[in-house]
Amino acid sequence: MVASLHKENSLVRLFRWIYSGLDRTIFMGLKFTFPTRFVSPLGFLGMLTFVIFIILGITGALLMLWYEPILDRAWDSVENINDNIPYGFHLRNIHYHASNAMVMMAILHMYYQYFSGRYKIRNEILWVTGIILGVLTILEAFTGYDIIFSERAELAISIAASLTNSIPIIGPDMRDAFFGAGFHDFVLRFYAFHVFLLPIALIGLMTVHFPRFLVFDVPMVMAITGAIMITGGVFPVEMGLKFDPNVPPGITVPEWYLTGLYAFLRSQYDKFVTGVAWPGIFIFTLLIIPFIDKYKKFSWKDRPIISAIGITSIAQIVVTTYWGFYIDPDRTKSLLERLVIDPIFLYSVMLALVPLSFGFTYLMIKLAKNAEANAKRQPKRTESPITLSEKWIYFVFIALIGFQIYLNIAAYYALLAGMKNISLFIIGIIMLVFAGMFHIYRHGRTIANNPPPSSVQYSDKIKSLQHRRASLGDAEDKPKLASSSENALSQIKSNGLLSKVFKVAGKNKNSFEKMWRKD
Amino acid sequence: MSTPPAPRGEDKISRRDFLKLLAAAGTVLTFTPFVDWGKFLPNPSGSTTEKAKVELPDGSQANVKTFKVNHSEAIIYPRSEDPTLNEEAFRTWQFIRLPQELGGEKNDASAFRAYSMVCLHLWCLWKYWPQDGRKRGECPCHGTLYDPLTGAAFAGPAALQSPPSNVLPRLDLEVDKDGYLWILPPNWNVNGNGIVGFGRFIA
Repeated sequence: MVASLHKENSLVRLFRWIYSGLDRTIFMGLKFTFPTRFVSPLGFLGMLTFVIFIILGITGALLMLWYEPILDRAWDSVENINDNIPYGFHLRNIHYHASNAMVMMAILHMYYQYFSGRYKIRNEILWVTGIILGVLTILEAFTGYDIIFSERAELAISIAASLTNSIPIIGPDMRDAFFGAGFHDFVLRFYAFHVFLLPIALIGLMTVHFPRFLVFDVPMVMAITGAIMITGGVFPVEMGLKFDPNVPPGITVPEWYLTGLYAFLRSQYDKFVTGVAWPGIFIFTLLIIPFIDKYKKFSWKDRPIISAIGITSIAQIVVTTYWGFYIDPDRTKSLLERLVIDPIFLYSVMLALVPLSFGFTYLMIKLAKNAEANAKRQPKRTESPITLSEKWIYFVFIALIGFQIYLNIAAYYALLAGMKNISLFIIGIIMLVFAGMFHIYRHGRTIANNPPPSSVQYSDKIKSLQHRRASLGDAEDKPKLASSSENALSQIKSNGLLSKVFKVAGKNKNSFEKMWRKD
Repeated sequence: MSTPPAPRGEDKISRRDFLKLLAAAGTVLTFTPFVDWGKFLPNPSGSTTEKAKVELPDGSQANVKTFKVNHSEAIIYPRSEDPTLNEEAFRTWQFIRLPQELGGEKNDASAFRAYSMVCLHLWCLWKYWPQDGRKRGECPCHGTLYDPLTGAAFAGPAALQSPPSNVLPRLDLEVDKDGYLWILPPNWNVNGNGIVGFGRFIA
């Protein structure tokens, strides 16, 4: 067993061969970074969005095996997936919650880039493609929740169709192209958009949008996956009611990323203005932001007007999103009365949010600059990172493995007992535990690579080096190495570079370095 | 449980490798639950534990007292709620009462046969011809001939296929005390009732 970890077996050689073959592919043009310690996920929210996109691709492809894009079977086939097919419940819930997570992650990603001014320094193309990607992501999510063809989907499709129709000149033709001639076409066309046309457009734009430097943080990716599963376990997505044209639909609101739009529609103004022009102006503003932002600095503190515009947009998104969800609970009123939002009230609140947000931004910048100045005056606080000793790394690791075994059994029994959401929840926990485990593993490796100054460990290392050298059959150098070990020890202590040892030892330097790099 | 001792001899495992092994164990355990998710993929032919009526095209249940000797009808099994699915070729079966010389006059299940109508050669739908001199299943596409007694192809391209692809899948039948015919729960296996479109081993 020990030998197998060091020797090159044929499987390892195969992987190495494949890896070296990648040299000729586009992947080598990307610079992948696997963080060796915890770094804030704010910097790689885009990568996390992409990972969620991949999760959606995998679960979506599997759901395609059972989903039937046929008018009177769409809802029933989803019900079949949800209730009868093994793990159909799991995959459907992951797919649904991952779609929400992707929209949310894309929005967070955009605002982080916005406030940190990353769209400057010739990143304008990344920004513009990113905005288009965001719009397509929402369209992708929208087509997805429509093809179940429940009551809510029917409401959403009817609104979308009338909005498209309201566009001057090209509107009616667009409506014919996207929605077809009836319910049957809605389902089939939205399915084609959802599973092929929009994803292809997304992938194409992503190849432009990807920067050359990418961060892939395994613990964070697994934590996000786990969070999606846990959400699915705690809030399983409902089936809704199958659309029946003979039954008046109840009040339903769209998904949270469209309730803002819904609030405007409910203000009873012209459809084109509220449903197409307002969001169009919002998207257009975002598109041109890098070209109107003339500040020379990056930080949000040094770009007050741009930051204020950003805060205003967040405030208005939050208010309208919440407003779109709100429906007067008084059932004695008529449906129309409960649904309609007073436009004067809505628009005056929207306007009032502008000076409030500017004032808030001004306040925040003042506070942040004050805090900065204070931090400079005060002595630097020393960080006290949590460090686990090597012994405790093993203890914690083994405890986590034991916990994993327990969770595996628990997840399986939950499924046997028919508690699908519990099983999904527990598998989500397994993902989180893996994230923690990987973090500890990473920490352990860092310790192993940069051992704390302790002479006992260094002499160990040299002993093991001698051993390795001997195992390579380089016997004649052995005494030389041993005699120079004192010398080498001092060198290691002075600069901590193991390669120096090999310089002292002379021969076979390259092969040794290769061996160490493998580790 | 204590940490491995500091000296690392030839047969001792190094700390770094121990850490690697732990990480490998953790990774395996993390992805173990997904092995079972493979059950999402297959769509096995619906098998039930309940008996189903032999429902004739006119909607009545077949009865030994009324069903004519040397006669056949197309029946649907397993029957679905969805009329489109019921038109599927793989759900059509040829329900035959054997001719007199093959024991068709007996008033029990041995006088009846139900074979998949999907020809084992290229999946056309064959049917039973009761005329004198024929009394066999004939496929319209390439002329495979089936023996109504066993379901085995005795001439034509399907007869040249190696077992089990030369014998038609078959449903087990049962007669209740009123003479009504029932289909017993099938075992979709080449050694059981066979696999539609593929065949069955004759015991």
